Amino acid sequence: MATSITTPKLTTTLSSSTLQTLLRNHKFSILNRSPFITTPQLPSTTFNLSTKALGFLSSSSRQAAIKSRRFVTRAESANGAEPRTYDFDLFTIGAGSGGVRASRFAANFGASVAVCELPFATISSETTGGVGGTCVLRGCVPKKLLVYASKYSHEFEESLGFGWSYNSEPTHDWSTLMANKNAELQRLTGIYKNILNNAGVKLIEGRGKIVDPHTVDVDGKLYTARNILVSVGGRPFIPDIPGKEYVIDSDAALDLPSKPTKIAIVGGGYIALEFAGIFNGLQSDVHVFIRQKQVLRGFDEEIRDFVAEQMSLKGIEFHTEESPQAVIKSADGSLSLKTNKGTIDGFSHVMFATGRKPNTKNLGLETVGVKLDKNGAILVDEYSRSSIPHIWAVGDVTDRMNLTPVALMEGGALAKTLFANEPTKPDFSAIPSAVFSQPPIGQVGLNEQQAIEEYGDIDVYTANFRPLKATLSGLPDRVFMKLVVSAKTNQVVGLHMCGEDSAEIVQGFAVAIKAGLTKAQFDSTVGVHPTSAEEFVTMRTPTRKIRNSSSGGKTDSEAKAAAGV
Amino acid sequence: MSRKMLIDGDIGSSDDNNQYDFDLFVIGAGSGGVRASRFSAQYGAKVGICELPFHPVSSETIGGVGGTCVIRGCVPKKILVYGANFGPELEDAREYGWQVNEKVDFDWTKLLHKKTEEILRLNAVYKRLLSNAGVKLFEGEGRIVGPNEVEVIQLDGTKLSYSAKHILIATGSRAQRPDIPGQELAITSDEALSLDELPKRVVVLGGGYIAVEFASIWRGMGSTVNLCFRKELPLRGFDDEMRALVARNLEGRGIILHPQTNLTQLVKTEDGIKVTTDHGEELMADVVLFATGRAPNTKRLNLQAAGVELDKTGAIKVNEYSQTNVPSIWAIGDVTNRINLTPVALMEGTMLAKTVFGNEPSKPDHSNVPCAVFCIPPLSVVGLSEEQAIEQATGDILVFTSTFNPMKNTISGRQEKTLMKLIVSAESDKVIGASMCGPDAPEIMQGVAIAIKCGATKAQFDSTVGIHPSAAEEFVTMRSVTRRIAAAGKRKTNL
Repeated sequence: MATSITTPKLTTTLSSSTLQTLLRNHKFSILNRSPFITTPQLPSTTFNLSTKALGFLSSSSRQAAIKSRRFVTRAESANGAEPRTYDFDLFTIGAGSGGVRASRFAANFGASVAVCELPFATISSETTGGVGGTCVLRGCVPKKLLVYASKYSHEFEESLGFGWSYNSEPTHDWSTLMANKNAELQRLTGIYKNILNNAGVKLIEGRGKIVDPHTVDVDGKLYTARNILVSVGGRPFIPDIPGKEYVIDSDAALDLPSKPTKIAIVGGGYIALEFAGIFNGLQSDVHVFIRQKQVLRGFDEEIRDFVAEQMSLKGIEFHTEESPQAVIKSADGSLSLKTNKGTIDGFSHVMFATGRKPNTKNLGLETVGVKLDKNGAILVDEYSRSSIPHIWAVGDVTDRMNLTPVALMEGGALAKTLFANEPTKPDFSAIPSAVFSQPPIGQVGLNEQQAIEEYGDIDVYTANFRPLKATLSGLPDRVFMKLVVSAKTNQVVGLHMCGEDSAEIVQGFAVAIKAGLTKAQFDSTVGVHPTSAEEFVTMRTPTRKIRNSSSGGKTDSEAKAAAGV
Repeated sequence: MSRKMLIDGDIGSSDDNNQYDFDLFVIGAGSGGVRASRFSAQYGAKVGICELPFHPVSSETIGGVGGTCVIRGCVPKKILVYGANFGPELEDAREYGWQVNEKVDFDWTKLLHKKTEEILRLNAVYKRLLSNAGVKLFEGEGRIVGPNEVEVIQLDGTKLSYSAKHILIATGSRAQRPDIPGQELAITSDEALSLDELPKRVVVLGGGYIAVEFASIWRGMGSTVNLCFRKELPLRGFDDEMRALVARNLEGRGIILHPQTNLTQLVKTEDGIKVTTDHGEELMADVVLFATGRAPNTKRLNLQAAGVELDKTGAIKVNEYSQTNVPSIWAIGDVTNRINLTPVALMEGTMLAKTVFGNEPSKPDHSNVPCAVFCIPPLSVVGLSEEQAIEQATGDILVFTSTFNPMKNTISGRQEKTLMKLIVSAESDKVIGASMCGPDAPEIMQGVAIAIKCGATKAQFDSTVGIHPSAAEEFVTMRSVTRRIAAAGKRKTNL
């Protein structure tokens, strides 16, 4: 939630509170002069991004300024033991979360690094992108900002129960939100550029394409590198159905010119649910179409049911087991969605949140022989190395676990492996994640079904309660929490929550679960009162004990039967 | 078990060679007392408990099942904090595109009414919990008669006498008033939670958590708030850097701070209460709140009859098992003045039941107890503050801090930083303290508390992947040390 976010920990580096204040007051003009940031050879680039005022166009000219100034630095690397010399030790294609992290860290370890990225645009394509990548420009950040905006309508409702009243219902002005959101994105993309700049990474604007295992072509100019990192991310994927051209994806949904009056969202994954919450909160009529019976495949079953129920109570209409077949535009401009069950009319927007695909086309990967999986993701080993030595890949383009902090971890590990003489594998165990639906979900470790498969005997602790705030507001908001414990070892192997603040709450527990702590250790911790989170340390009686001691190959359905006992 | 109390008329009957009316008699049905009673009953003990009649404002003769936490503390306080939070939230909504009418009204009476409803509901829930556990509840004032004897003075003045194998004192504490001329014009937190109307002008005396919480509550609702405290910063005992940020935030939200200030006199005038400070300043107030500490409720318990020892603050002295110097008499919760928090009283109550009736001597563990201050934005901590760490350190201390602008503020424009801090022992790499001031801090700190309680290292924090975008993820992404403090380099401050 920090603006530092994924980022480069702008904030921890600048820990002095005085400096923080200065920063706040002077925006980024002083950033480069900060004594806290190692800027070996930089003349201070004055990067005066005045937050909210900047239009989109101004970025490219600034970029050009930076580019011209930065180019010659570190032409040759110190460790020239190899026979061949290269322009760079590392050339990164794609300046999103993973690429920026790997580049910066590599530079900090002394490598000469360049990164190329497409020009900024809120909607991505083969020719547009922007420094910061999906997370900053078309994902986590703008999404969360819209979640904040949309949550207010719920808060207005809640406030009535706490004695507040309004002469007239608050109304929402879409264009104010979009303008302020875009100003913030501009600010962030500027910060990212600055961070690269300060780390001594050369930023090249343009489309990178691999020509041979040590050469990248950026819009006709060739750069050689000892190592190439592909971190080009993924993009929304829309299935090929009639009327596809009327459909928007999440990129567009984050930057609509006007607010949908009635929107169909196709998909049951986290993106679909997050946007359903956003548009519902901003007072659109929201219909969600999912192919299966439940939303959020892969999540804990009880969470899946709980979140759908809570969202329905807020007025979102779910259409289950409906697959889209066509989108039809009427004469009045409204859209209809035809599914296997019928046709619903009158949508101002139809959004597809039907998955994302790695951006591996036209990268030259085939020519050098980098192997892809059947979804087009780059196949990598545990160290993020592709089938071609010296070509590496991190982040969504590898389709391992498509989360910003995971890309950061992969990028950090790669820099260590390549330039710190410390081969490091990213560790994919017990990675927490959140869905910013309303209410949000936080989870870490195994869901109940996975735990049964892996441990056989488990104890499940659940709590389903009305939070203090809801008792006053009178709204039907509830909180669901769940601990999954290995019966044999007492270790907490999974933790799930749906309810207000889940995403914030789960982080600390993730440390505990990653560290392999036991239920007894949870219980020995005193609660913080009155909070929702304290429920996780006060769950005394298992809701159910599941025993299939023969362990190993028990199937889901058998486990479920046992759970019912 | 659930029906036991209803048929539990014959108190004197005993199955084994137990000559007592009760195995356990508890005086005080607050958090600690109710917990100890219920758990003891679940171990098979015959339990009686007495509590004063219900009223939102406590006195020597008024209390209520649920105790301070439910009736006059955590719960009503949190409800008012929720209520107060909406004020600034409405302001923040504007930059997010919401057009909120200029005329927004806040109705204190409505909130107070709903708060009382909720408290009455909880009071009933607590009573039901006791009855379901088979605990016999008496309404009236409990007193010690001897090491194994108690009496309950009922509302009508009649006395009931019971013998008990064990007596537990869990009578809690009450707000104290400083001895200032005109002190009777001021109120304590009890009354502050039950005012008939929202005060327009408030003077709060005190720098502890109660003072800053009420200052935040009233300010959020639009009152003019003056906060006077003796030290340079509020919240003595907390991490100094956090204290400084809390002070800045309170000020940023419009509370007028008067550090190093005491009150010398309160005078009633036509325009309200005229408050004079020791700097000679005069402040006008509709309400003056004394949040200057709480004292254990031990005066009318007749403890001397059994020879129960008190410390100089009037708190009951207990050993690690919560046992007083009289072996059959025990005490838990605020009346023992150890760590005065609901969850600590619950822990002490649970351990007591285990020790006395569960055949499993168990000491409550007072180390690494997390806690929260619900000022706006809130503060939450677990483990050592930087100052404590330096004080107790045998080796070097590493301090990691992160100060950042919460994402929500990037659009709302609110000028308020969040600060997070980890204190690490350089030698062992163990995280020995964590603190945070910012939105959701209390919710975020709970999980961190488990890790710290269990001795997690900084490396283990770092190996945990963040949840993005959250504020909490900063706790697992603090890579560079902000400062290293050598074992010898102890700083002394007098804030």
